[in-house]
Amino acid sequence: MTSPADVLYADNPAWADVTPLPQYEGVNPLAPILYTEEYKDATDYFRGIVKTGEKSPRVLELTEKIIRLNPAHYSAWQYRFETLKAVKVPLEDELKLMDELAVKYLKTYQVWHHRRLLLTESYNLEPKRELEFIAKSLKADTKNYHTWSYRQWLLAFVNDGELWVGELDFVEEMLNEDLRNNSAWHHRFFVVWLGGGGGGMGVGGTREEKERVLRRELTFTKQLISLAPNNPSAWNYLRGVLDRTETPYGLILPFVRLYIVNLSDRAGSTDIVDVENPPPSEGAQLPCTAALEFTADAYERQGDDEGRKKAVELWKVLANEQDTIRKRYWEFRIRGVEKKVGA
Amino acid sequence: MTLPRATPVDGFPTHTSRVQAETEEILFKHHPDPLSNNNATPGSSSLGAASTPTSSSSSTQGKPADSDGGPALQKQLHMSFLVRNMVQGFPARYISQDASQPWLMFWTLQAFSILQVGLDPGNKQRAIDTVMSWQHPDGGFGGGPGQRPHLLPTYASVCALAVVGRPGPGGGWDQIDRQKLYRFFMSVKQPDGSFLVAKDAEVDVRGTYCLLVVATLLGILTPELIEGTPEFIASCQTYEGGFASASQPSYSPGPNPTLLEFPRPPLGEAHGGYTFCALASWVLLQPFLEAGYKGAHSSKPPTIDLNNTLRWLVQMQGTEIELGGFKGRTNKLVDGCYSWWVGGAFALLEVFGIGASSEEIGSQNQPSKDEKLDDGWDDVDDSLLNRKALQEYILWAGQHPAGGLRDKPPKHADAYHTQYCLAGLSAAQHHVYPSVSREQALAQAWVETEPFEPDLGHPGLSQEQRKTIFAKALCWKEEEGASKCVGGAKNRVNASHPVFDLTITHSQGIMAHFYGQDLERLRGPAAKPTAA
Ligand SMILES: [Zn+2]
Repeated sequence: MTSPADVLYADNPAWADVTPLPQYEGVNPLAPILYTEEYKDATDYFRGIVKTGEKSPRVLELTEKIIRLNPAHYSAWQYRFETLKAVKVPLEDELKLMDELAVKYLKTYQVWHHRRLLLTESYNLEPKRELEFIAKSLKADTKNYHTWSYRQWLLAFVNDGELWVGELDFVEEMLNEDLRNNSAWHHRFFVVWLGGGGGGMGVGGTREEKERVLRRELTFTKQLISLAPNNPSAWNYLRGVLDRTETPYGLILPFVRLYIVNLSDRAGSTDIVDVENPPPSEGAQLPCTAALEFTADAYERQGDDEGRKKAVELWKVLANEQDTIRKRYWEFRIRGVEKKVGA
Repeated sequence: MTLPRATPVDGFPTHTSRVQAETEEILFKHHPDPLSNNNATPGSSSLGAASTPTSSSSSTQGKPADSDGGPALQKQLHMSFLVRNMVQGFPARYISQDASQPWLMFWTLQAFSILQVGLDPGNKQRAIDTVMSWQHPDGGFGGGPGQRPHLLPTYASVCALAVVGRPGPGGGWDQIDRQKLYRFFMSVKQPDGSFLVAKDAEVDVRGTYCLLVVATLLGILTPELIEGTPEFIASCQTYEGGFASASQPSYSPGPNPTLLEFPRPPLGEAHGGYTFCALASWVLLQPFLEAGYKGAHSSKPPTIDLNNTLRWLVQMQGTEIELGGFKGRTNKLVDGCYSWWVGGAFALLEVFGIGASSEEIGSQNQPSKDEKLDDGWDDVDDSLLNRKALQEYILWAGQHPAGGLRDKPPKHADAYHTQYCLAGLSAAQHHVYPSVSREQALAQAWVETEPFEPDLGHPGLSQEQRKTIFAKALCWKEEEGASKCVGGAKNRVNASHPVFDLTITHSQGIMAHFYGQDLERLRGPAAKPTAA
């Protein structure tokens, strides 16, 4: 930023005291990268700096230049962090630069990790500002893995009850945008069941609270399933919640059954609204594969021959009609219970 | 004559369903015969020459079809792609991978290995010299000369040396500084059993996998090194069954946070790459877990939910309209590289008795599978993924018409996807399984040799532990007669070691050296080398 982008370090008098270090000496490398002159120049000077161990403001400029050319250059990031600490630059300034770089190089591990180092190091962090920044980034790239896990880390690191609770609104906003966004579903699970967003689910909580949260989560998930039943993210969340709370799958069957019948078979069903068991939307394409699978699992878990037989029937439907690509897996499930039938 | 079903949108389109529909449309154009649905019926064979007659001239459609209509692996084109990168160099857009030079090297060399091609001695030596220029004076390998040591390039460098290196001066193997490497490993170790991938860098289960592979290959595993690591791995499993990038060690900031109780919350959703790394790590930790490993921070030994992992893995396979490729996350798109990360992970489950080889294959009372040969897929295929469909995805959609393999059309080919698509093809063609008899044979042939003793004051492995690690790592065996190549035998590639992503031969070679075992004795009559 301080020197014009088109001036090479080799031509820059301010860098005349540094001896550039070529990458390969005495080696004729196999499978080399054909660098641009600009990149080669900057990294030659970086290697020169690393050799002398210099940590000064101009090193910040050099590492920024390299990072802009290749944000995955982890050694430049490392050296930059060490230099920041050595020259005692206000970390807020660095965070502002990171605001820009994070948006530009959203897909890079290093930009998010550098933020994390800065926050950990300075500790006078403003988590709300940070959460807002992350939210903005996620609007641009709704499933960015690093951004989501960074948000989860931040929540855990700060561990503030108010922040945990506020996350539910955020998740709902993201799922309103796209109820198939699996990253948002995972975030919901993290916040509600592993963090402090479920009224202290992750860290204690009374029995009444736990039951209230379970009811709330089941209602929420069923509602989203009813809007678009063929959404594996919602079904996986439902299963995750039931597994986590050790709730029998069978308890949900009255709801799930609505999703394994054909649309034509639904004609004449009542118009009574049952909030516990919201029916599939008009556009739903049934039977829903995930509902068939869920029902079969619920039957199998009954633990008796009757249940196992019913499960096998459904797995056959999946293997031969509804989910043929996974035929071998469904047959594997059938073999798994056939060993038990009558035993 | 029905089209494969499009993924249902339920009249409720969102961003996810829109990009999904666009992808299905593109992918389906790469299907040899969009109007016939022979794909949807796994029992009906459409293999090789028996394939669809309507896939007319391959050149006009850009489809990699043979003159006889079957999908062809364009070995020559891929070879040219690899040779060009290796000899002329990678074009400037690979500057973004300047910190991954060992990976570019490993992907290139390993892609050659899968294609059953070896380098000439001159290029081999150049490869060795290049790799050794990445070794850091403080131990470990960096992403290029002068770059800091990092777990990921350390894996790529050591595996590249497994392919091209040799013992003795200039051969690379004996120039790896194992003491310093071990010290680097211990220096990035965290209290929760995880590892930073480099100093001041992130924790990531890929780093754990890379470290465990290298430590296994080079014989520098110790109980100290892996203390707490099983708990970390198990904590990465999410409610979906797959694994996340990392897990959160504590809920309290400050210099000395208290560790959360195991299992700790995973950071990020279940993901194909992390799932492979976690599962392979779990396999590499088995010698310790089976010997009664008890963590320091938990009262009971850590476990993972393998049934849920299996469910997640199978759910990642795309349907017929996606040509059976694999996704890396729920509600994301299929991508060629997950052919290995997810498709290749099924073999790992067999270590735990899940899948085809829960009993030893080829016992006398079974009819030999060789006798049935090409008459149908069903007879030879006991696997839990759809091997045939996966091969079709790679062959029809994964190959770039100009050479190299890719994520999906219309993307460019790159070094990463070339190697992982080929590795996935290898995993889908061959059935490589952990053989109990092979493990026993290796243990019996074991000769006691000088162990690695870390100079950090804590003990290395006992002779018994080294033997177990060695035998378990090399017990993988290709089931004879169970290979099945879509498009016919001309598409056959080498079998791969399901944990290391090396050929079986290269895995044996480097491990025999570092464990001081006699390679010829190991290969004996029981073990048939699979590499050229
Ligand atoms: Zn990919």
